[in-house]
Amino acid sequence: MDGRMHMPATRALRRSRFCAGPCRGLPAALLAGLILGASAVAGAAGEMTFLRLTPAQYQRAVHEIFGPSIQVDEGTTVLGVRDRGLLALGARRSTLSAAEIERFEALAQQVAAQVTDPSRRATLIGCRPEADDAPDDACAARFVTRAGRLLFRRPLTGDEIDLYVAVARTAAETLDDYYGGLRAALAGMLVAPEFLFRVERSEPDPADPGTLRLDAWSRASRLSFFLWDSAPDGLLLDAAESGELLTPDGLDAQVERLLASPRVEQGLRAFFSDMLQFDRFATLSIDASLFPRFTKNVEDDAREQTLRTVVDHLLHRDRDYRDLFVSRDTFLTPPLAAIYGVPLPRSQELGGAVPWVPYRFPEGDSHVGLLAQVSFLALHSHPGRSSPTLRGQAVQEIFLCRRVPPPPPDVDFSLLQDTYNPDFRTTRDRLREHRENPACASCHNLTDPIGLTLEVFDAAGGYRTTENGAPIDTSGELNGRTYEGPPGLAAALRDEPRATSCFVERAFSYGAARLPTDDERAWLADVQAELLDGGVKWRELMRRIARNPDFYTVVRDAG
Amino acid sequence: MTAGDARPRWIFRVGLVGACLSVLALVLAGAPRAASAETRGYVISMVHTATYANTDTCPRGYNGGLADLKVRRLVRRGFSEEEAIAILANGGVDRDGNRVEIAELPELNGVEVNPGNVPVLVSDPQVHTAHGRFAYGFNLNGEVEPDAFENPDSGERGVDNGMWRALGCFEVYQVRRPVRPYNEDIAWDTALDAMPAWLMSITGDDLDRDGAVTVAFDRALNVAMRDARGGVLSAATYVVDPDPRSHSVFRGRIESRVLTIEPGDFSIQGESQFYAILRFTGTRLRLELAEDGSAAGIIGGYQPWRDYFHYLAIRGEENAQVDLAGVYYAMRRLADGAPDPRNGENTAISAAYFLEAVPAFHATLSGEVVADAVGPGPLLSGPAVSENVTLDPE
Repeated sequence: MDGRMHMPATRALRRSRFCAGPCRGLPAALLAGLILGASAVAGAAGEMTFLRLTPAQYQRAVHEIFGPSIQVDEGTTVLGVRDRGLLALGARRSTLSAAEIERFEALAQQVAAQVTDPSRRATLIGCRPEADDAPDDACAARFVTRAGRLLFRRPLTGDEIDLYVAVARTAAETLDDYYGGLRAALAGMLVAPEFLFRVERSEPDPADPGTLRLDAWSRASRLSFFLWDSAPDGLLLDAAESGELLTPDGLDAQVERLLASPRVEQGLRAFFSDMLQFDRFATLSIDASLFPRFTKNVEDDAREQTLRTVVDHLLHRDRDYRDLFVSRDTFLTPPLAAIYGVPLPRSQELGGAVPWVPYRFPEGDSHVGLLAQVSFLALHSHPGRSSPTLRGQAVQEIFLCRRVPPPPPDVDFSLLQDTYNPDFRTTRDRLREHRENPACASCHNLTDPIGLTLEVFDAAGGYRTTENGAPIDTSGELNGRTYEGPPGLAAALRDEPRATSCFVERAFSYGAARLPTDDERAWLADVQAELLDGGVKWRELMRRIARNPDFYTVVRDAG
Repeated sequence: MTAGDARPRWIFRVGLVGACLSVLALVLAGAPRAASAETRGYVISMVHTATYANTDTCPRGYNGGLADLKVRRLVRRGFSEEEAIAILANGGVDRDGNRVEIAELPELNGVEVNPGNVPVLVSDPQVHTAHGRFAYGFNLNGEVEPDAFENPDSGERGVDNGMWRALGCFEVYQVRRPVRPYNEDIAWDTALDAMPAWLMSITGDDLDRDGAVTVAFDRALNVAMRDARGGVLSAATYVVDPDPRSHSVFRGRIESRVLTIEPGDFSIQGESQFYAILRFTGTRLRLELAEDGSAAGIIGGYQPWRDYFHYLAIRGEENAQVDLAGVYYAMRRLADGAPDPRNGENTAISAAYFLEAVPAFHATLSGEVVADAVGPGPLLSGPAVSENVTLDPE
């Protein structure tokens, strides 16, 4: 792109980004919310909430609207912050820094250039201008209207259409290029807050005076991002536009349609990636000098192993969530098999696709359930050594929704880090001081009896029976139930009622991007009780949450 | 068949014996194992010439490196040593500005040819050969000749290693463990990612105790897998290539965690980046079996010397870092095995290689696991890390 083409488009973008462009048509409260970082803004129209798109959602939106051939640089966008266990809750607090806006602007330019590239115009633009070197407001308006509805997940207002068409016109005149103008308009939409954030708008609930509910468009987005981790498709937007989505029957029909779609897999993957804190893979560091089997391939495959296991278990086989803790069925690749120390007679051609092979660990093997998978074990270890405390804390916080306080600032870790101390050969020996010290015991008794059972797995997830030549004691205790070894821990966790209630509440919080109210917790407890009878099935849980009108109720000060 | 080419006879003999062994091995593989027997699998993580260089290695002089052989080549053409050095320093141009051909390019039927392809067109440069006291290898002929080497570790006398004699005075081979000859190190490192992995398995009643075992070598259908340090991954699974040409079986014994075999024929196909084939007659093996499940030691025997020369020749002098014609004549002169019955000329040379292996699962094409990976494997393995690296200096 030469400077002549680039600069006017950039200027157009800059104008459009804040207030001189499309933002002019947005409520001032929305911009105030973005700039001030407030998660929700109350105004005359009710409550508005801004939920920042995740990198995956951004990419998926671009691909679903413009096709998977559009390249989206994943490094451009960043994950948000985790709040009370979920990025979905943190999304409510996420804003954009000036540096991030610059990155999004560059990304928008890249995407817009690809969409308006001559090779894609015929299929993506939808109309041909009168002349390629001059503005064409009618054609631009058609594109802006159609693409804008999908990008903003609602129809554009007349003012918004006028503004983006004006951007396209100005840029086209400057560049003598109709498609250059269209590129500027599209880039403007791609950096608009209405695209980068899910803007949830509320309205008075006619069925319950005094309360607020999401408007139809926001309801469509919440439902779609909940089940698909993606923006609403055309049919869902149609249901919102017709008002059908606000009716019980219309909502039920859309929930069933979305649940029947193959896209539910990406929704399931997104939920578990968030719950299991897989964003931490980005900063995972396992010391290769100590654990040479932990290759970059293992790192990538470990995450995928768990997600494949979850998808197969919950979606394809419709099994009970609780059995994820005791299941021996999983999928392996050759590098993963090596780190688990099991044979996998499947070779991978150089440069070929990674072969994923269904694998069942034999009865009696310590590899049972999610806790014995490399993803969990490595994510909750130190780079050079395993950590019963981190692993126990993760079990408490991720699967039991029980917060473990951080350690006090003056803890002496010297003995714990002295991993070759001949008098304290195992981690259990070295941690005994913490469990017997009253100042430490309250937390360590929550974490260590769980984590010490997993000490048969080193920091990389490799199996071992001894540490520094001493046998590893795998006995443990969870909420008063004692057990032996990882299979015992897995069974105890499977039978722990709090594991189910935590999962149910996580699902609601993930979808609503807020914690449930007391009333909603009572309702969720009923749902849990009903699910326990027939098994805690993921699809049924999603169905019950998504069909409940309370899921779309707006709660003031929810953040 | 030409008079100077004795390979067909050697190949025939290996082929016949190998075929018999293959049939035997296939029968053994198909037979049910004793209930108490176990088979441990390995993937070979490193192979290189068993060098041992010290100050006594080359009492008659050194061949130096690539630059030295170029200087000598120019001196043989009439330049003084000072002039030769100046020409090399000046990019191959003499003081009058004329380009000087440094490479040895003999002519055959009026066409310049690569001396690696037709070394006999170049006169024998009489390279220096190793005559020191020590060298790794085995006493292959059972005799202790006056000039035979002595194993620097075990003190065994009568070590036959003609290969070391031919190569030992070139700079690139003037190393000893843990340093490896660079030309072989880089070739193995490259080949490891491209050629099918080489496998070894040991079968016995209890491999943690002394006793008789069976040792087999095979090629895999998949390439070796790397670990996070660039070494060879332990506990990976390899599918055994059923091709009998790369299948060798030996009777062996474990004593005090040292594995040895009864002499036999060994052959495994490689890849042209490294050895196109590695084969010996009268093969000996001495591997130490480590607690971590890895194995390391020496394999050797009589190797067709043209196999190794071919390995050097295809890489050219610049990468092999030797005088190709010099090595050709030296190996031919020092060959000490497999005489060609037509002319009595030896076609094989005594040789020894360091060999390292890490635990690996072996499976058949149908997915049956036929060898288990036992032990965590070493922290350091394969070509990309040095044995000198220690994690804890204390």
